[in-house]
Amino acid sequence: MAASNHLSDTFSALADPTRRAILARLARGEATVTELAKPFAISQPAISKHLKVLERAGLISRGRDAQTRPCRFEVRRFKEATEWMNRYRTHWEASFDRLETLLTEMKEEKSRANRK
Amino acid sequence: MQTENEQAKKPELRLSRVFDAPRSLVWEAWSKAEYVQRWFTPAPLTTPRCEVDLRTGGVFYLVMKMPDGVELPMDARFVEVVPQERIVFAATIHGGVHVHTTVAFADEGAGKTRLDVHQVYSHETAATRGAPQGWKSTLDQLAEVVRSIR
Repeated sequence: MAASNHLSDTFSALADPTRRAILARLARGEATVTELAKPFAISQPAISKHLKVLERAGLISRGRDAQTRPCRFEVRRFKEATEWMNRYRTHWEASFDRLETLLTEMKEEKSRANRK
Repeated sequence: MQTENEQAKKPELRLSRVFDAPRSLVWEAWSKAEYVQRWFTPAPLTTPRCEVDLRTGGVFYLVMKMPDGVELPMDARFVEVVPQERIVFAATIHGGVHVHTTVAFADEGAGKTRLDVHQVYSHETAATRGAPQGWKSTLDQLAEVVRSIR
């Protein structure tokens, strides 16, 4: 259950387009709030709010420097969520493989029934 | 806060496959429990129990059994059923994950059928419980970030 709670937080954090953009930027390297706010048409306090959500979700960490507190992308929690996602995609692909097989069998059954 | 507009634009999981079978046959494979039992759960999982009442409001219940014996029930309802056109079902699976699935049927010509699956996975957190905007999170939102990282 702990893992699924992590996932809840991760998914909630990732649901916002601005937060996804922030993460994409941090994936290229550390940045301060000022640097992060630049490309977005929103205020620093608004960015700080998003960073708090990301930090709570374990998707980023903040540096100790009281002035700048640089943000760093934390890949571990993010990987957990992508692995979860890939499991479900794989699930569908595997089910559709089986559906293909079943449809072939159904076609054969029907053509046998028609010949009778 | 999420706005309605952002919700409308949120990206979601999409998956397609073309089957070498006419639409009527593909529909049949969805419409009877004895068929669904044979394909819906991927190996090595099995489906010891399955109930399919393929009509709007009908029950879609199945139990997936893992090789170690653990059973994962999927308790769903058909939200919308348009014969040979569209199936929409809403499910709650293990861990309290809510899944909303739309499957669209389309002719591909030469007796082939295309299925388009459109799926939203959502979680409810303590912080967002009761608020519709809290039902967030989809697989492709993650995929989007993964793409931007690569």
